[in-house]
Amino acid sequence: MNLDVIISYIPLYIEAFFLTIRIGWLGILFALAIGLVVAFIMHFKIPFLSGIALVYIELFRNTPLLVQLFFIYFGLPKVGLSISAETCGFVGLGLLGGSYMAEVFRSGLESVPNSQTESALALGLSRKQLFLSVILPQAISQSVPGILANVIFLLKETSVFSAISLMDLMFTAKDLIGLYYDTKEALFLLVIFYIIMLLPVSVIGSFIEKKARFRTLGV
Amino acid sequence: MKKNNLKKLLATTLTLALGAATLTGCGSASAKDGSAEQTSSEAPAAQEQSTDKVYRTLDEIKESGEINIGVFSDKNPFGYVDENGEYQGYDVYFANKLGEDLGVKINFVSTEAASRVEYLETGKVDIVLANFTVTEERAEKVDFALPYMNVALGVVSPKANVIKDLSEIKPDDQVIVISGTTAETYLEKNYPDIKLQKFDTYATAKTSFENGTGVAWANDNTEVIAYAIENEGYEVGIPSLGSQDTIAPAVSKGNTTLLDWINGEIETLGKENFFHADYEATLIDTYGKDYEETLVVEGGKVADAAEASSDASSASSEDAGAAASDAEASTEASSAQ
Amino acid sequence: MGFEVLLKGNNMIRLLTGLAVSLKISFISVAISIALGAVLGILMTFKNPVINAVSRVYLEIVRIMPQMVLLFIVYFGTTKALGINLEAETAAVIVFSFWGTAEMADLVRGALLSIPVIQYESSISLGLNRFQTYRYVIVPQIIRRMIPLSINLITRMIKTTSLVMMIGIVEVLKVGQQIIEANRKASPTAAFGIFLVIFLLYFMACWPISMLSRYLEKKWEN
Repeated sequence: MNLDVIISYIPLYIEAFFLTIRIGWLGILFALAIGLVVAFIMHFKIPFLSGIALVYIELFRNTPLLVQLFFIYFGLPKVGLSISAETCGFVGLGLLGGSYMAEVFRSGLESVPNSQTESALALGLSRKQLFLSVILPQAISQSVPGILANVIFLLKETSVFSAISLMDLMFTAKDLIGLYYDTKEALFLLVIFYIIMLLPVSVIGSFIEKKARFRTLGV
Repeated sequence: MKKNNLKKLLATTLTLALGAATLTGCGSASAKDGSAEQTSSEAPAAQEQSTDKVYRTLDEIKESGEINIGVFSDKNPFGYVDENGEYQGYDVYFANKLGEDLGVKINFVSTEAASRVEYLETGKVDIVLANFTVTEERAEKVDFALPYMNVALGVVSPKANVIKDLSEIKPDDQVIVISGTTAETYLEKNYPDIKLQKFDTYATAKTSFENGTGVAWANDNTEVIAYAIENEGYEVGIPSLGSQDTIAPAVSKGNTTLLDWINGEIETLGKENFFHADYEATLIDTYGKDYEETLVVEGGKVADAAEASSDASSASSEDAGAAASDAEASTEASSAQ
Repeated sequence: MGFEVLLKGNNMIRLLTGLAVSLKISFISVAISIALGAVLGILMTFKNPVINAVSRVYLEIVRIMPQMVLLFIVYFGTTKALGINLEAETAAVIVFSFWGTAEMADLVRGALLSIPVIQYESSISLGLNRFQTYRYVIVPQIIRRMIPLSINLITRMIKTTSLVMMIGIVEVLKVGQQIIEANRKASPTAAFGIFLVIFLLYFMACWPISMLSRYLEKKWEN
């Protein structure tokens, strides 16, 4: 491996790294928002909307992000709906992630036992207070390990952005290989930058997961 | 319990560090492998091939009864797949002839622009016949045979806003290119300020261009001319850019038996005007008669064809063999207009 | 809308053949993953420090490396580093199994550890020998826990096969692009129809499998 080549590539990877992070996190925030809304809709069985929510979850959980992006980015403009690659990237990631986050939040909401609702009401809390200060905090803390697992999953999924011309890490590597044919150097840096991006999240994730498991199971 | 947790955390961090180290180790190990005998990595690929042959010789191919040829599957009319699943196009027509004369079955492998060199370096195909422009950089990694087509770069844009010179491109405009093509290399090198929107397949690049995400699409001029002819509302504002290059078959570096055979074949085929027939079978619907002499290189002799080409910058009127290495010599922007 | 191209020639059959390539790769990989994952999962419960360290590193690599990166490394990297020439499909199966084995191993380990010690003790005191304990008590429970999760893995693999196009395998998405390209003039809106149909094809392949997995999970919950 040639060190000079690696050094000359690093600025390109840093640029791609920030693009990946920017779109990745935008998409994840979007996914969290969608997930919360959809989870509420399903938890409270809001008529009509919960039907749509179900279809949405099933559609997006059972299709690959790459195909979703292809359809949004290349297909929709054919019927007059054009959006930029960056928007498409985070919207696609958000829609995919939303369907996963919704499931996590929903099981978080379901994990709060009914007895708590009853006790809270008996104590004279209003419905709003009950939801905001009793159920929601517990549901969210229950959901944290699941959310983090999804965050890792979604950050990994950003690697398909390359197909819609977003210069993310994967595309930078592929492009450099195609331009200068220094395969090893390009792939090496690709691995390093994914480690930098995902290892911290993964470590925090396993730590929190263990803590959560300890709280519930004691092991 | 706290202590226990800390210990676990420490253990995880250690393992992860180890993991990273292993990965890095892997990386450097493979590097050692590549440049064991020479520290300059200018030509590690060539080095590898000489120590460890990745390609199959002519005899080995004949013996196996099958040849792997890398072609485009989404570059109409040069290499594409028709509605019956058959490979078609100018490159494919030639590939079929090679297979026929070798007496072997052809196994077409669908390649992307950016992975063509990679396919040869790793021996995954025996020949690349994917509109492969001869350039100096590529010639360091693969061996090109005699050329069979002329090419330069061209830029196509919508008629409503035709780009006739690269200087017309505004700072915020994006130009579509395909990753791993000569157009990309050329623009990166000579116009680093132009924003490029890169796609890895022809299909996605063209669809995106149609959808209006870029002001222009830069590619081989053959390709953009064909595009403007087939699709209404587009015009090739810059028909020739950069140097006049050629397109040739490529084999893995050092595969001389196969290379010599292909060269012999191209010369022989020249006598029967094979590539003109190829043109008439595959390209005439797109280009009409007008471009026949401009595009076709017969018998590997590029000289006459380059003269015939009206907008050639006459950079590559050397003899066929030298054309391969000198093709990239002139990198000046030479808009013919 | 671009659906008409599907009726031309063999186009629809070609798309389905492309999907079959995806399904084939995922099913082979899942089978390998289950076999190797079971072995590794059992090994991981032995609490051997070497096995633990190695498997942790392995699991972590799989956890953080995008499958696309692994595909590139295996497909293009191995030939250069090791001189082994892999077919694209073999490379895909290797990467998918590498990923699947890690997930299965983790699941098997989790399932094994979740069975309370008291069950082993009770079985022994009931006079069952070690083999019988596993055969009649432990393994059936583990299988019940594993099956829904492994089915789930199949759908994730099918979805991930959309990436193998990037290493030159002609699967459903690549066939779609070829069709769009060959019919650009005749059907300019083909991109809409084709990508929508591919979207639905993936859904039709994965959804029933997800449903089955969820059904089994519910059925065997207790």
